[in-house]
Amino acid sequence: MPFIAVLAVALCVTLVIVVVSVMSGFLDMLKDSGRTLVGDVVLSKEVTGIPYYRELIEEIEKLPEAEAASPVIETFGLLQMPYGPDSDRNVKSIEMVQVWGIEPATLSRVIDFQKTVYWKTPDQQTAETLAKDDPRLDPSYNRLQEAMAMRGTGAPALPGIMLGIEMSLFNERQRDGSYRTSRFGSGTQERAYWMPLQNVSLTVVPVSESGDIDFQQKRAFSIVNEFQTGVYQIDANRVLIGLDTAQDMLRLSESVLLDTTNLDENEMPRRIGVSPARATTILVKAKPEYSPIELRNAIEGLYERFAMEKSTEEGAVEMPYPVSVRTWEQRLKDLIGPVEKERALMRVLFSLVYVVCAGLVLAIFWSIVHEKTRDIGILRSVGAGRTGILTIFLAYGLTIGVVGSAAGLGLAWLVVDNINEIHTAMGEPAPRWAWMVAAAFAAASATGALVAGMRGSVLHTLLWSIIGLVIAGIAALLYYHVGVTIWDPSVYYFSTIPNKIDMTNAYQTMAFATIFSVFGAAIPAAKAADTDPVRSLRYE
Amino acid sequence: MSTNPHAPATTMPLLSAHRLSKTYRMGRVDVPVLRDASIEVQQGEWVSVVGLSGSGKSTLLHLLGGLDRPDRPQKGDRDAGTVHFEGRLITTLGAHGLNQYRNRAVGFVFQFYHLLPELTVLENAMLPAMKGRSPLAWFAATPMRQRAAELLERFGLAHRLTHRPNELSGGERQRVAIARALMNEPKVLLADEPTGNLDANTGGEILTEISNLHRNGLTVVMVTHDPAIAALADRTVRLLDGRVVSSGS
Repeated sequence: MPFIAVLAVALCVTLVIVVVSVMSGFLDMLKDSGRTLVGDVVLSKEVTGIPYYRELIEEIEKLPEAEAASPVIETFGLLQMPYGPDSDRNVKSIEMVQVWGIEPATLSRVIDFQKTVYWKTPDQQTAETLAKDDPRLDPSYNRLQEAMAMRGTGAPALPGIMLGIEMSLFNERQRDGSYRTSRFGSGTQERAYWMPLQNVSLTVVPVSESGDIDFQQKRAFSIVNEFQTGVYQIDANRVLIGLDTAQDMLRLSESVLLDTTNLDENEMPRRIGVSPARATTILVKAKPEYSPIELRNAIEGLYERFAMEKSTEEGAVEMPYPVSVRTWEQRLKDLIGPVEKERALMRVLFSLVYVVCAGLVLAIFWSIVHEKTRDIGILRSVGAGRTGILTIFLAYGLTIGVVGSAAGLGLAWLVVDNINEIHTAMGEPAPRWAWMVAAAFAAASATGALVAGMRGSVLHTLLWSIIGLVIAGIAALLYYHVGVTIWDPSVYYFSTIPNKIDMTNAYQTMAFATIFSVFGAAIPAAKAADTDPVRSLRYE
Repeated sequence: MSTNPHAPATTMPLLSAHRLSKTYRMGRVDVPVLRDASIEVQQGEWVSVVGLSGSGKSTLLHLLGGLDRPDRPQKGDRDAGTVHFEGRLITTLGAHGLNQYRNRAVGFVFQFYHLLPELTVLENAMLPAMKGRSPLAWFAATPMRQRAAELLERFGLAHRLTHRPNELSGGERQRVAIARALMNEPKVLLADEPTGNLDANTGGEILTEISNLHRNGLTVVMVTHDPAIAALADRTVRLLDGRVVSSGS
C-alpha cells in the first residue's frame, strides 16, 4: 500500500516537472535564441533603411550602455537552389527566403555569429561531445574563413552566401543532431552533395522610398558555409549575404543624386549631392551591467539628437522618422508572448494534479487505516493517545510525500535528461527483439493464467490474464509501431526538445505534492485517531 | 494457590472498581454489558475473572486498564462508575492522564497476542517504551533496547529478537506479548484469556510464566472461562450477565 502511494505521488510529480520543464526550457531556448540572433536592442527602418548608419553606429558605441553595434539589411528574395527537377536544363528548385545582409566581423561583436556557423572545426570541448564520424571533425570540412569573408574561392570569386542548415534537401539530419551530406555513387565514384561547393542565384526586388518596385536584381553566389541557429523557422528560411552586396542589389549603397530637370553644359543632369549608404537594421549589444530597456531608452534619445544634427547639416539627407527601437523581447513578443501564456495555462491546469495526488493518498490511506485498525488498537493499549496516532499517520503522509516527490524528481530528471533520445527512439520502428520479448512474456502470462485456472484460483487466473493481455497489447503496439514524431521542428521552432529541469518549478512541485499528501492523509489520520481501541482489539 | 508473600496484609487496594456499568449500542439497541460491577484487587494479588461468554469479563478488564470508560452514573450517585488505582481516581482523568496510566501502570496481554506484524520481536517488546520518544530511538542502543532484550531473554526468546511475529509459534508470540506488557514495569498485568488461543501444553507454559511473575510480586488480573486456570489464582470473581455474583478464593 505505501509503495502504491509513493508511486502515485512520484508519477504526479514527474508529470508536472516534465511538462513544465519542457515548456520552460522551450521558452528559455526561444528567449536565448532570440537574444543570440538579434542582440539586445534592434534599431530598424524597413525597406528604405537608415542613412549615415556608420556614423550612427559610432555614436551608439560611445554610449555607456552599448558595447557594440552592427548594420544589417533585411529583405526577402527568391533563391534558385543548385538542384531541381531537371538541373541539367537549368530547371532548378526555387525557394522564397528571408535575406540578411551582414558584416560578419562586426556582427560577431554583437551576437555569437561564429557559433552559428556550421561547417567549421569545433573547439576541443565541443569535439569531445560529437560522434567520431561527425564530418566537422574532418579538417577539410572547415569553411569558417570563407564564412567570415563572405566570398567564394573560385575564379572569378563570386560573392558568398550562407544558407540555413535546414534549407538544403541534401543535409540529412542524424539521430545525434549532426547533419551529414547525401552521398551518391559507390566506391571511388562516391561523392557527397556538399552545399559549400555549390553555386546559387538570388533574386531580390529593390523598393524605392515612394514604394515603387524597381527591376529585380539577380546574382550568382557561391555557397561559402551553412549556419544553424537551432530555431527551425530561421534555419529553414534565412540566407546570409555580405552587407555590401545586399546594399548594391537593393540600391541602398552610396549613390550620387542628380537633378534631371537641371542639365549641365553637356546636357547631363546636374549633380546635387550624395545619397549615403543605408542599412535597414542596426543590432546593438548592451554592456553586461545595463538592461536592454536602458539601452533602448539611450538609443532613442541618441537617435533624436543625431537626426536633429543631421537636419541642420548642409547637403545631408533627412533622417527617417519614426524609426523602430525595440528590445529583443519586444521584437520577438509575437513569438514569446503566446508561449509564456501557454506555460502559465499549463501550470494552472497541472495544479489539478496536486488534487489528484491528495485524492490518491486519501484513498490509499483510508484503506491503510482500515487495514491497520487492529494495530491502532494495539498502540492505544500500550498508551498511545489520539494525538499520537494522528501524528503517526500525518508523519506517514509527510514521508510518503517527501519520498514520492524525491522519486518523482529523480524519474523526471531521467525522462527530461533523455527526452531527445526517447523521442528519437519513438520516432523509429521498434526493434524486432522488443516485440518478440514482449510476446514471449505475454505467452508466459497466458500459461500462468492457464495453470492458475487448473488449480482453481479465480484471483490468480484473473491477474495473470490481465497481465498477459496488457503485455500482448504492448507487443502488438511494438510490432505495428512505425515511428511517431511528436516534437516536429517545423512546429516547435527548435530542432531538439529542451532537456533541462526547471529546478525552481521542480522544488515548488515537490513542496505542493508533499503538502497535498499530508492533506490527503489528514482525514484518514483523524479516522485512525477516532478508532475505538476496544472494538479494534476485540476479535482477531 | 497461596497468596503472594510480598502482598501487604490489608491495606488500601491497589486497584478497585466501584459499581461499573457499561452499555454498548448495537444499531438502535442499547446492550448493557456490565451492570454495577465492583471489584477490589490487592497489591500482589492474582485475581481471576470468570464467567460465560458475553458476561462482561473483557469489558471489566478494559475498564480497569483505562482502555475504555464506564457509563456516566446518574446524577447524585457519586460513588458509582469509578476506578481507583493506588487510591487515585482514574475514571476522571483526561485523555493524556489515561494514556499515561495505560503506558506506565498497567500492562495488557490479549488472547490473540496483538503484535505488530511489521516490527521485529525486539521492536514489539520495546513498543510501550517508545511513547514520547523520537523514531530515531528505534536505532539507538539505549537502555530500553537492552531492557527489552533482557525481558525476551528471560522468556527464552533471545534467539528470536530479529524475527517477525509470523515466524514465531503461538506460545512464542504470547511470550513476546507478555514481555511487551512488562516493558515499562507496570504494577498490574491485565491478561485477557492469555491461553485461549494455545494448546494445553503451551498454555501451561504461559501460565507458568505468569505464575512466576506473580510470585515475584506482580499483581495479576486474568480473564478466563476455564475453571482450572481460574483455580491457579488467589481469588476468583465470577460474572453473570454483567453482574458480580461471587468473589472468593
